[in-house]
Amino acid sequence: MLKMTTDLPLLSVRNITKAFGAVQALQGISFDIAPGEVVALVGDNGAGKSTLVKIISGLYKASSGEFALRGQTCHFETPADALKAGIETVYQDLALIDQLDVADNVYLGREVLRGSGFLGRLFGVLNRATMRRETAAALSQLHIKIPAPTMPVRMMSGGQRLAVAIGRAVTWGRELLILDEPTAALGVEETEQVLRMIEELRQKQRMTFMIISHNMQDVYRVADKIVILRQGRHVATLRKTETTLEEIVAYITGAKQKRVER
Amino acid sequence: MTIATILRRGTVLFVLIALVIFFSLNSDRFLQERNLVNIAVQNAHIIIVTVGMTLVMLSGGIDLSIGSVAALTGAVAAGLIVQNSVPVPLAMLLGLALGFAIGLINGWMVVYGKLPPFVATLAMLGMARGLTLVYTNGRPIANIGDEFTFWGRGTIGPIPTPIVVWVVVVIVAILLMTRTRFGLHIYAIGGNEETARLAGVPVNRVKMLTFGISGFLAALGGLLLTARVFSAQPQAAVGLELDAITAAVLGGVSLFGGVGNIPGAIIGALLVGVLGNGMNLLRVASYPQQVIQGVVLVLAVTIDMYTKRLERGAPKT
Repeated sequence: MLKMTTDLPLLSVRNITKAFGAVQALQGISFDIAPGEVVALVGDNGAGKSTLVKIISGLYKASSGEFALRGQTCHFETPADALKAGIETVYQDLALIDQLDVADNVYLGREVLRGSGFLGRLFGVLNRATMRRETAAALSQLHIKIPAPTMPVRMMSGGQRLAVAIGRAVTWGRELLILDEPTAALGVEETEQVLRMIEELRQKQRMTFMIISHNMQDVYRVADKIVILRQGRHVATLRKTETTLEEIVAYITGAKQKRVER
Repeated sequence: MTIATILRRGTVLFVLIALVIFFSLNSDRFLQERNLVNIAVQNAHIIIVTVGMTLVMLSGGIDLSIGSVAALTGAVAAGLIVQNSVPVPLAMLLGLALGFAIGLINGWMVVYGKLPPFVATLAMLGMARGLTLVYTNGRPIANIGDEFTFWGRGTIGPIPTPIVVWVVVVIVAILLMTRTRFGLHIYAIGGNEETARLAGVPVNRVKMLTFGISGFLAALGGLLLTARVFSAQPQAAVGLELDAITAAVLGGVSLFGGVGNIPGAIIGALLVGVLGNGMNLLRVASYPQQVIQGVVLVLAVTIDMYTKRLERGAPKT
């Protein structure tokens, strides 16, 4: 039994399809993510990457097919269900709320309340001291430097914001971290910081990642496995050790045709 | 803290202080205790509904039905007391419950009917006013009795009842917005509804409740107004929602949600009240008063935006 759980893939995607009216956004996607693995999901615009992410993070429901977390089939009705299951997603544009400070962002939706009694829950009085202290501790553990947990997010740089968003995801994500275009809006140095953070998290904490990206250099550097989508179809799953950047690009553009392996 | 920051935080407060100085120099009566108490009493219902409007605006919505809901709930409570001999406390509670229910209907239209808040509450503005006219046959309901008028004219200790009520409402609202999960969720939804939803915030429930509270406070304002003028008028509180929006915007509450706070909005409401009172003392006729109010609104918001831009260094889209 113990052996079985360790052999189980962390995430197993089985034959997922999604149709929006007559448009087939996804046509039978299947792949596995092993615990501690970094999987890149790549493809051109409209390949269906974001749709797949939204299904796994509970925002959309698949038209058919299913996915399982450690062997347990997931039935997510809302994003909150995915969060409860331990799947955290850092969205490209929707990571943080500008108007709130760092600690409030990190704890949004999972606030620490003062008093667990009936009154405490009824009025939901926030324990901001704990939220701020824990945020500062969690972020410094990840080597994320922010001036203060009370700083409003709108006053921070793109890199700082993404670092906080990832910090938030790492704080809560027990199973899988999904990063949607993490480096798209960042400069060279900030991109480097984020990539180093991902590498460190997977080495030290055995975090499992699914990364969606347009940037093939970034993908090639951090990923163990590359899942390539093209026009809603799954065209290839490649191990980084067995492929080249050129081959990946050839699959994305359609110059090279379908080859699926596990 | 730069000078620009101080200016921005306090623009409306400075305008308010400037008005107070101006009116006290030009009228002997302005700074008299009786007049100041008068301002605080006469504007009680405006301050109370401004709190509700601020909550809705912070969540990214707007509530145009406030004036109509205030009139309807005031009329229903007065009618229950005068025509059906319902005990005053019960009639008032029923009025508040009616306001809360109408607010929830507003929220339901927005959350589940997917109507823009502007449209949903504009429809409710018409419906609630129409219901008020139907209920009252277009005639005032008078002789509401001392037990009811206490809430508009009485005193608790030395302090007039309406002042006690609005101070309590404001304190509770400030605690709600700064100390509780509900307040945090309102700011989050107003900041970015989609992100809040993705973070697991119960967006629909919070929005429904926010409109419910606005309806409840509209009812409370309507009851105080009815009690203060001794009767329920079918045309009472026409345009009250615009006073509340003016106060909130003056106080720095963004029409796009997520930015602003209760104290700012209250200062905005007091500014509107002081301006009206001062102009009355200076015998400015009521038609030009409206023009001056409009000019002050534009000026205050322009200064506010200008100083915000100074503070930020560059305009941000």
